[in-house]
Amino acid sequence: MVNVWTIAAHEYRVNVRRLGFVFSTLLYPALGTVSLALIAFFASPAGRSVEAQLASEARPLGVVDQSGLFAPLPAGAAGEFAAFEAEAAARAALLADEIAAYAVIPHDYLETGAVAFYVKENSINASARNSAKVRSFLQRQLLEGKVDPATLKRFYEPAQLSVTTLDAGGKPQTAFDASAVSIGLFTPYLVAFLLSTSIFPAAGYLLNSLSEEKETRVVEMLLSSVTAAELLAGKVIGLGLLGLTQMSVWIVSSLLFSVGVGALIADSDVLFNPWIFGLEVVYFLFGYLLYGILIAVTGMLGADPRERLQIAGVFSLIASTPYILFLFISDATHPILTRVVSYFPLTAPVMMMLRLPLTNVPALDVGVSLGVLAASIPLAFWAGARLFRASLLMYGKRLSLRQMWRALREA
Amino acid sequence: MTTPAILVTHLSKTFDGLTAVEDASFQVNPGEIFGLLGPNGAGKTTTLRILMDILKPDAGAALVLGQPPGAARRRVGYLPEERGLYRDLRVLECLVYLGQLKGLTRADAQRRAAGWLERFDLAARAKSKVQELSHGLQQKVQIIASLLHDPDLLILDEPFQGLDPVNVDAVRALIRELRAQGKTIILSAHEMSQVERLCERLALLHGGRIILYGALADLKRQFAPNALEISPPLPLEGWPEVDRVEMRDDGRQRIYLADSRAPRDLLKLILERGHAVDHFELADVSLDEIFVAAVKGLPHG
Repeated sequence: MVNVWTIAAHEYRVNVRRLGFVFSTLLYPALGTVSLALIAFFASPAGRSVEAQLASEARPLGVVDQSGLFAPLPAGAAGEFAAFEAEAAARAALLADEIAAYAVIPHDYLETGAVAFYVKENSINASARNSAKVRSFLQRQLLEGKVDPATLKRFYEPAQLSVTTLDAGGKPQTAFDASAVSIGLFTPYLVAFLLSTSIFPAAGYLLNSLSEEKETRVVEMLLSSVTAAELLAGKVIGLGLLGLTQMSVWIVSSLLFSVGVGALIADSDVLFNPWIFGLEVVYFLFGYLLYGILIAVTGMLGADPRERLQIAGVFSLIASTPYILFLFISDATHPILTRVVSYFPLTAPVMMMLRLPLTNVPALDVGVSLGVLAASIPLAFWAGARLFRASLLMYGKRLSLRQMWRALREA
Repeated sequence: MTTPAILVTHLSKTFDGLTAVEDASFQVNPGEIFGLLGPNGAGKTTTLRILMDILKPDAGAALVLGQPPGAARRRVGYLPEERGLYRDLRVLECLVYLGQLKGLTRADAQRRAAGWLERFDLAARAKSKVQELSHGLQQKVQIIASLLHDPDLLILDEPFQGLDPVNVDAVRALIRELRAQGKTIILSAHEMSQVERLCERLALLHGGRIILYGALADLKRQFAPNALEISPPLPLEGWPEVDRVEMRDDGRQRIYLADSRAPRDLLKLILERGHAVDHFELADVSLDEIFVAAVKGLPHG
């Protein structure tokens, strides 16, 4: 065990000084600081003025009102909207860049709600921006003068939502303004995202370190002093601590960033649940241990550094699937699939890290996924250490399936 | 009875159907310099890797310092054939780490590494990065790494490979010194002449099998030709006492005697016939010649 700690300390000490590590660790806080500075600027009156100028569309929006519901255009709309009798005239104006886009409101608009909207090619941004403008225009014009101003205001702003979370005994825990929900929830999600993504660089450090020792032939010298299992364990611990260091810097800077953004634009508190954060860290550690061992060991089966990266990429891809799946499935829409992905050891850490801050994850899911991971890690290490040992002295060659089987059976 | 430093019995190892070591048995006694010799691919490195517990044998067993391979790692120093050090670490840092893995404390490893670097004229390079050192200097650093923890048993796989003649002599002297301190040393080499003057006993491997094993002096006696070497060369062809004559690269003449003829009989005849002789000695046999003879199955002499 002494050897394991000696290797871990050595790996940490050597790699924490590497320029690549220092750069990648500090890059994120640096970008955060720059972003914060930009947000602070645009939150100021001067920034808002600049933003308004940059965002404003100088050209009006064309309206061809075939329904007759919206003509004539109100006086306040002049400059912002331009009315056209016929669509051909609007089209000519659009092609001549006199208007940004135009909308055709048909005769049967009231029955169908259909509105044709035209923009010049490659103007997706203009389309999104101006279609929202058209929608707002139609709503206002439909109700203007027909309902009282107070109702009209509520129509546009139906709720100033405040949300209070209750504990199991019904005691209020946190209360926040719904307008700040996005930034409040964003932070734990960002932390979860950073935690889960930082598993992969940490596993990458492990693969690089082993690959380097193999390429420089130092590995045989090491194996004369320690077992392959001790070498692997020492590296997993040392480089895991390295990953934790990087992650800590990122998370602290994320929290500072979020607090800063919250104070600047949303006047909100960051929603921070220490239990969830603690679980996130546990999933990070379990995820790192499992992916780290699998990525490093299977990566080492490759004949050269390039092949090692390719093999390791397969595991990274599998482990990353929850990022994609999470866009389409949730506890509410696909409870079974969500659980399957949460219980499968190769996807469990990332899936659970993404679920925890955003949904009320049942304790059963936490227990089962942690149990599966706790059982998978020793198994991965047991098999990994054997394959790792067998692959270490294969220079420029890869292990055959038969050799892998033999390695697994060796005492 | 003294426990052998190494005891190998019926060791075999194959790689994907290719036999690397086949039924090898030998013993290394404590305090001796033992040679594990043979051409490239003979199975030397595989045998040593099994002794170091880096590879597992398919059959047979080995004991290292009386224990299974791997159990006595800290009492064994190993210089692998595949040389390698951490290229971007400083020399001293690298040695200290490797020393710590052999059970030394950081302070002790630092102190010992500094001493060895001094002895190998590398003290000034202690803070250089390994990659800044020449190949030969890196090899010296690696030799230091194998000695740092003062092992009882030293296994050196091709220790002279890549060294210049001056350093070859220095390493030879070091090996003799370690032998005098009571260390057991196993030398593996494919260039047998390099270790011939060091080994007391040896095993010659060919195609994974041990084809000769025993004390060097016994093997030399066994393979010694009935021949002598003289200079300057003499016109001896056709003499009934002489079987054949060869000129050697060093200018000496090797004379193979006819059966039952003794060297002193020939010397007597040469002098009687009025020839002058500056140099006259019994012909020695080199390990290379013994190896070739053993492989070819040539009759001795």
